[in-house]
Amino acid sequence: MTDTANFAPEYDAPIDYMRRTRDYYLALGYDNPYRWAHYVDAPFTPLRKPLNDSTLVLITTAAPYQPDKGDQGPGAAYNAGAKFYSVYSGDSAVDHDTRISHIGYDRKHTTAKDANTWFPLPLMREFAGAGRFKLAKRFHGAPTNRSQRVTLETDAPEILARCRQDQVDAALLVPT
Amino acid sequence: MSLVARYLERNGIPTVIMGAAKDIVEWAGVPRFLFSDFPLGNSAGKPHEKDTQQFTLELALKVLESAIGPRTTVQSPLRWNEDGDWKQDYNNLARMPAEEVAKRRAEFDKVKQVALDQRKKAGVA
Repeated sequence: MTDTANFAPEYDAPIDYMRRTRDYYLALGYDNPYRWAHYVDAPFTPLRKPLNDSTLVLITTAAPYQPDKGDQGPGAAYNAGAKFYSVYSGDSAVDHDTRISHIGYDRKHTTAKDANTWFPLPLMREFAGAGRFKLAKRFHGAPTNRSQRVTLETDAPEILARCRQDQVDAALLVPT
Repeated sequence: MSLVARYLERNGIPTVIMGAAKDIVEWAGVPRFLFSDFPLGNSAGKPHEKDTQQFTLELALKVLESAIGPRTTVQSPLRWNEDGDWKQDYNNLARMPAEEVAKRRAEFDKVKQVALDQRKKAGVA
């Protein structure tokens, strides 16, 4: 293949979600725009041992299905009532019914019918079974309650503590 | 989620994020990021396409293993569809009739109230 001057259309690039969201909520009459977390530095810790000898944990923003909390899809409208407010954990060895109706995902282009697109735990079990890594005995759910202070001061330390209990070596985080 | 990744990383646990909102994750600044240029909700691959899900997970693992420093972003070569037109839809006012904006405004006011009540109940408001 050779590059030509027949370039891709300008819109065909990663979406500028922050700008799009700011404009959108302004139009909805919400004049207190969300301030996304922003740092100039980022931490880095190298893997200490080969991945096949490391315990990997899944961290998700998906919510456990709660039958008493209204329509959670697939295809449900945004359902703030299905949010959760403290870290939860589940047994990695079994299947779980997780949903994303509490999150602003792309409802036009995503049906939310296949949980494997946001919760890759079954696939991680297969990879672990094939020896790619060791799967931590629990996965953890991180609340998305728009309070960054709660995330920093309560939820992140709680997730770290649970990872340490399970002697986790590395984490795969899957936000929706 | 970026905040959690940073926190774990700073406390000795290497992390990789699989995500679809490139600007938001990079704005926060994370150690390792596998970006899929897919509609939000598909961070781990395409629906009912196990091969793309396997490919995405394997690529994230490679990023975890091979990144040489923080703010490593790798973009998955997978495409959601041929023309990429879906990117012009998400919360795009330019594609939304005025009555749709008005409808969403009314719905949004309701949702905000539900969220506020929940936060109060949970003691985090």
